Amino acid sequence: MNKSMSNLSSAKSFSATDSTNKSPTASTSGQALVKVSNLHKSYSPTIQVLKGLDLTMAAGERLVVIGPSGGGKSTLLRVMMGLEQIDSGSITFAGQPYITANDGKAKTKINLAVRQQIGMVFQHYTLFPHLTILQNLTLAPRKVRGESKASAEARGMALLTRFGLAAKAGAYPNQLSGGQKQRVAIARALMLDPKLMLFDEVTSALDPELVAEVEQVIMSLAEQGMPMMIVTHDMWFAKNIASRVVFCAGGVVVEEGPPDQIFNAPKHERTREFLDRVFHI
Amino acid sequence: MTYDFAVVLGYWEALLQGLEVTVELTLLCAALGSALGFVTSLARVSPVRFLRWISTLYVEFFRGTPVLIQLFWFFFCLPIILGSDISNFIAATVTLTLYTGAITSETFRASLKSIRPEEIDACIALGLPRLTQITNIVLPQALLRAIPTLLSNFVSLFKESALVSAVGMADLMFVGQNISSNIAKPVEVLTVVAVIYFVVAFPLTRAVTVIERKMLAKLAI
Repeated sequence: MNKSMSNLSSAKSFSATDSTNKSPTASTSGQALVKVSNLHKSYSPTIQVLKGLDLTMAAGERLVVIGPSGGGKSTLLRVMMGLEQIDSGSITFAGQPYITANDGKAKTKINLAVRQQIGMVFQHYTLFPHLTILQNLTLAPRKVRGESKASAEARGMALLTRFGLAAKAGAYPNQLSGGQKQRVAIARALMLDPKLMLFDEVTSALDPELVAEVEQVIMSLAEQGMPMMIVTHDMWFAKNIASRVVFCAGGVVVEEGPPDQIFNAPKHERTREFLDRVFHI
Repeated sequence: MTYDFAVVLGYWEALLQGLEVTVELTLLCAALGSALGFVTSLARVSPVRFLRWISTLYVEFFRGTPVLIQLFWFFFCLPIILGSDISNFIAATVTLTLYTGAITSETFRASLKSIRPEEIDACIALGLPRLTQITNIVLPQALLRAIPTLLSNFVSLFKESALVSAVGMADLMFVGQNISSNIAKPVEVLTVVAVIYFVVAFPLTRAVTVIERKMLAKLAI
């Protein structure tokens, strides 16, 4: 654990372009980066997952969402990534409309220009198995931005080098450990210079001894000032990385506050119950 | 009774020519059939209802009827309907292509379905355009995954192609039958013909197993 923290302080810049991302907090602090309003989402008339969720995130914040399974944490992140339709409510990003429910039969409206500024890493491995590690990294920059192969590969190699994965550039995903795959998945998302990173239980599928190497990478991104929203069951990680903790249950935000407050002096009975259960294993 | 297998050796050139016809027909129908099968597999998941309907009807009909009847129909019935002759080569090629198309469309359909939904989520999260998702993620994996089963399909086609002897195409089976009745040695000749089919098909069957193992290892995640 201490190893992670010392790594955090010695983290280098992970920005793929190096110049753009020096201090996102300084320029935009104070303004809400994300504003989620009255979000409703159901998978069927009987299965309501989000029931009017409200959430605001300032630029430079690291929001950790905790809560019981089925409480809407992962759904919230999937909606944030534009992967799910919503029933009602809206999300704005840096003041711009991002996701809007079209009341009636039409589909959810997603502002694609905004979506491109958000990166996501999933619980399950999502590397493309037929592409090498470097190809996994360069595909989106080349196809989405029209970046040249040489330029994308140079940036990709730089990122892999910083992640200690340069030797794996030509390998295929199945030749990597679970922890390495998730680090590559993070690098792949960073290739598009996201303004916000979403991490959806990225260590849940990993063997315990591989969790730390992935969390270290996220820690060093945090150190660099990357705004992020994290869903995790790892309470130690939550405590250490969060600038604010959000307890989500029953499809709404039950309680939120600094990690100290949520973990040491939760106000709501439901939060206390959840934390008691988690820490009494 | 003694068997004289040496006598079959005297007909090796004829048998080789027969094998050539069989292999050529198999390769031709494998190529045409898998192209047809791929298009059909796409049609079967198309949003256009008519395409789904017609492709399903085609696949189910050709999977649900004997190849021999299909062949006879194209060779004996279609010429009557059209009022003009159809050569046994054309009838055989059309039949085996349609048959292979129906079989391989199922192979492609299964391999298209095997793409994990998580990868599509990742595509969306990376902002990949729909066309890129198809050309760079879905199709390459679907084709790679289809290869072992496709090879099995081709081995079946190679064996099923013996049926074209029934419409007088001079394939390996036809040549074998002719020799066997001419020299009245069915045991020797037909055994040798069976061995020739086996010698060609067996390495392919083995190759399927090896390729399958390699492919699964490579595409595992």
